[in-house]
Amino acid sequence: MLTRRSPLLALCALLALTACGRDTEEAKRAAPANAGVLNIYTARHYDADQLIYDGFKQATGVEVRALQSQGNMLVEKMKAEGASSPADIILMADAGALWRAQEAGLFQPVTTPTLERRIPANLRDHQGRWWGFARRARVIAYAKDRVRPEEVASYAAVADPKFRGRVCVRNADNIYNLSMMAGFIERWGPQRALEWARGVVANMARKPQGGDIDQIRAVAAGACDVALANSYYFLRIASSEAPEDKAVMQKVAIAFPEQAGTGALVNISGGGVAAHAPNKENAVKFLEYLASDQAQAIFASANNEFPAVQAVKPPASVAAYANFKADPLPVTVYGRRQGEAQATFDQAGWQ
Amino acid sequence: MALTDVPAPEAMLARRAGWSAPSPLRIAALLAALFAVAPLLFIAALAVQPAAGASPELLRRYAADTVVLALGVGLLTTALGSAAAWLVVMHRFPGRGAFEWLLALPLAAPAYALAYAYSDLLDVAGPVQTALRDAGMGGEFLQVRSLPGAVFVLSAAFYPYVYLTARAAFVSQSVCALEAARTLGCGPWAAYRRVALPLARPALVAGAALALMETLADYGAVSYLGVQTLTTGVVRAFAAYGSPAGAARLSLALLAAAALLLVLERRGRRGQGYGASSARWRELPAVRLRGAAGWGATAFCTLLLTAALLLPCAWLAVKALSTTTDAGRLLRAGSLSLALAIGGCVLTTALAAVIAFGARGRPLPARLASLGYATPGAVMAIGLLGPAALIWRGTGAGAGAAVALGLLMYAYVARLAAAALEPIDAGLTRVTPSMERAARMLGESEGGALARVHAPLAKGAFWTAALLVFVDVLKELPATLILRPFNFDTLAVLAHGYAADERLAQAAWPALAIVLLAAGPVALLSRQIARSRPGFAR
Repeated sequence: MLTRRSPLLALCALLALTACGRDTEEAKRAAPANAGVLNIYTARHYDADQLIYDGFKQATGVEVRALQSQGNMLVEKMKAEGASSPADIILMADAGALWRAQEAGLFQPVTTPTLERRIPANLRDHQGRWWGFARRARVIAYAKDRVRPEEVASYAAVADPKFRGRVCVRNADNIYNLSMMAGFIERWGPQRALEWARGVVANMARKPQGGDIDQIRAVAAGACDVALANSYYFLRIASSEAPEDKAVMQKVAIAFPEQAGTGALVNISGGGVAAHAPNKENAVKFLEYLASDQAQAIFASANNEFPAVQAVKPPASVAAYANFKADPLPVTVYGRRQGEAQATFDQAGWQ
Repeated sequence: MALTDVPAPEAMLARRAGWSAPSPLRIAALLAALFAVAPLLFIAALAVQPAAGASPELLRRYAADTVVLALGVGLLTTALGSAAAWLVVMHRFPGRGAFEWLLALPLAAPAYALAYAYSDLLDVAGPVQTALRDAGMGGEFLQVRSLPGAVFVLSAAFYPYVYLTARAAFVSQSVCALEAARTLGCGPWAAYRRVALPLARPALVAGAALALMETLADYGAVSYLGVQTLTTGVVRAFAAYGSPAGAARLSLALLAAAALLLVLERRGRRGQGYGASSARWRELPAVRLRGAAGWGATAFCTLLLTAALLLPCAWLAVKALSTTTDAGRLLRAGSLSLALAIGGCVLTTALAAVIAFGARGRPLPARLASLGYATPGAVMAIGLLGPAALIWRGTGAGAGAAVALGLLMYAYVARLAAAALEPIDAGLTRVTPSMERAARMLGESEGGALARVHAPLAKGAFWTAALLVFVDVLKELPATLILRPFNFDTLAVLAHGYAADERLAQAAWPALAIVLLAAGPVALLSRQIARSRPGFAR
């Protein structure tokens, strides 16, 4: 009765039907999993990944189908799907997320001589359930005219009283901060990590807010003198041609902390083969492709990440920052201590 | 002759139910409501499992901020939305004809897009604060990443809910009541405050309830603005503590809040008839605002429109034009979004109609089905994984795009039923029980009465419902993010991906595309509401 009286609703229904028709066509085209398909569940939200999928298709002829979503949602989805999951590969942008997927039993161990040769031991799971392919460091961005590099030579400096009211950070929910805190708890013990967080809270120039790039820009704008950020965000600004980014570069530099000590904290993007992968052969091929010179170069050139494979030379804009001492801490601790890290932030009043 | 003093329809129908078996329509309504509420049952089951989560002290802070945010948004949206609706329906001033439909347009802009735009525009390194600093003034007060900032952004995004429902009510109101008020000595203001506003209360409350539930469920905007509500707490429990059970438990608190809201709303209406038994429909009397008053009205509408739509969109456009985008990808995402929105809109409105018709006077099914609206999308997605798991495991590996799309549609229905139910329900209150009784006495069946009395009279409400759902699906993110098939990126998914990667200029393209796609239907349906007054001709 409604559709008869409201021609527009009828039109809506018609459009919906045609839309459904097209969707089922699409499903038919994509459904049969012949040898040439690879299904990826990915939490990485970078445009660079499309280049990698394209490169993989060119190299192997395998068609890549991707579902991009948040890491934890993907884990829940795969738990619900169980053995009927279509996923062949799981990619995550953080070691903590990889660990969580591992704990849920979503990976199967895979080891090949190529992967073992190319990926350093501290950037992967010892059983081969997942492998790290790109690295980023948690660095300190500082105002060149107000802070000397030796003043920010360690993470501890950010909590030093001399930076009272001069520090910008993003909020505690952020995965990059959580992984960093997990690293501190492992390195320093829970008590010192908590004191550090309290020191930073006391030093905050403003309530935690915004993303990593916002912190760097806030330093340039003079809202604060010191900020924490991931290396690739700074490198993105550094390699940008936009005038406002060039202006930021005039004022801000980064320091890799702990160079005289244990080294800067490093996190990874990585992935592994899904436990019930319908296209396991292609999945292994894909992991090996991610470790190849070509894919490693894409991580560096398109997303400013540091290659996990030491032999691969990144482009000049990334190479200029690539020679830092990295903390050899196994990245698995970021996952194991993530809950503790959140509790520490909560206890310190870091919102 | 203005108002009928009728017993509450509940009481009347309850009497009738004493001797007749429930009609098929009633059973259908109950089934439809159960269908919509099933994911929430799964969440409740999840919540009783042991869980890690935030400390009680944190919870108190979340809850306090949530209450302040909800109160602020509730008051501001109700004030702005009802004032704007009253102005354009009952007055004549420069630009009124355009504002009448333009003021609904901000509905096209997702709250998260406004949050992107305002936080960038007013950021400490943004153009406004930089200019203020260069001019020697501090701009710190312009802090949009704060609780007041979030109230502002969410009110700008959600006031159209109140505006649309209030306007639909004012457009279909009885001239007689107003005339009676005026003859009894009320001035125009008093007639508005003491007659029109109370009579439009079901619509106002329905609109405000929608805005409030959107506020409770919002994650994208508040998390971007750094405000910590119960919903961000839900996501934190889930993301940082890896505890779906903790998240489910927190979201039960949100559901309780939503349930309370709905109960209060219905309780406020109980025992009162809002129907008008006008014998014929006449042109609404419009007050011509002259001089300063007229331009004041114009300025108010312009300001509202600028703050809620023009300024943020213009800034997004500036950002977008500073970069380029993959037009093919954008186009494909746009057509996918459109197809989903149309499908979701038809299914949800149909289901809501079944519930609303079948449950006249029996509010339980409608209340149940409405709860999904206050559920954060991420939690609804977790809830859907329960029923989805049965389907996935039943259909085997690689269940494929059709199953994924079916689940996605289910997600939209479960989450958005309230968006359709509230306006339809509010519209049906204008059909008095005496009208239905008259129709039945004249030989119509129950279905016939619905088709020939209720449906035509509540036509404007159906348009509002369809519009709200269409736009909500276009903007919807969390459920789409997790349930969509492979290689199926909608505009909202694209915008979110770029924003998460801190590429605002790139996020601006799909965000603006959402606004453009939604703007057409919003304008069309907004005009439809104006014409829904019987005998209305322009």
